[in-house]
Amino acid sequence: METESDKRLDRLFAAARAGLTESSALEDHFETRLMARIRERRSVQQPWYALAWRMLPAYAGIVAIIVVCSITFYPARSADMFAALTGSQEDTVVISYLAGE
Amino acid sequence: MITLTTTDHEPTDENLVIAALAGDDGAFSRLVGRHKRRVFRMAGRFARDSDEQEDICQEVFIKVYEKLASFRRDAPLENWISRIAVRCCYDALRSRKHEKNHTPLDDVAYELHDHAADARNSAIEMRDLLNRALARLKPDERLVITLQELEEYSVREIAASTGWSEANVKVRAHRAREVLKRIVEEINGN
Repeated sequence: METESDKRLDRLFAAARAGLTESSALEDHFETRLMARIRERRSVQQPWYALAWRMLPAYAGIVAIIVVCSITFYPARSADMFAALTGSQEDTVVISYLAGE
Repeated sequence: MITLTTTDHEPTDENLVIAALAGDDGAFSRLVGRHKRRVFRMAGRFARDSDEQEDICQEVFIKVYEKLASFRRDAPLENWISRIAVRCCYDALRSRKHEKNHTPLDDVAYELHDHAADARNSAIEMRDLLNRALARLKPDERLVITLQELEEYSVREIAASTGWSEANVKVRAHRAREVLKRIVEEINGN
């Protein structure tokens, strides 16, 4: 149900809708001012450190590739001494063991 | 580079966008000329003075310029510009929330004198009353009530402009209206 304060508010809205501030003087030569500002922004070179953060995904990618390569090609040394000594020599170790050497 | 020379027909917004993207500043300037009225009108609803109105409009069109490449041409350009304008107005409201309680005492005295002296029901007085009440709303409340009641946007349009869901817009609009009613009564009571 619409109360008296609702009606009052609607009257205020109607008055505001009807009376919009005239801005045509402000709109004059707006394009010129805007384009001047855009040209000014274009001409200002951004310093390297302002662009550095944009390279963040590239940095992250490089780090990921390094981590993957290091894990793939240089696996972590085993903490077990026998395994460390016999690393990549399993065949020789088995033959020596079977031959009783 | 595509340039727009004098032709028999007015170029469409789409043609101007293509030319502007190709580096034709004149084309972008024409686009601004076509759409500035709507943006000025919207900014005028939220700005405190003409300087702020100009600042908001410049901000809107700088964003339009910078994001023009991301404009999908499946919808009218004016809708896209309106969405950017709504966001810039919202940003302007949020950036001033820390300063809203710092009205100089001179201004308060002037306002009190002004309202006591003037006729109560004049349209200027009503607009002034509404502006003072709107200034006391939170940024999201002011945005939603202004778009709905003054700019006469539908709930769907507000949702599209703000990124809020339609249900959220309805809730915010209802809440904003209740708060505004209370503020208006409070101002009238003083």
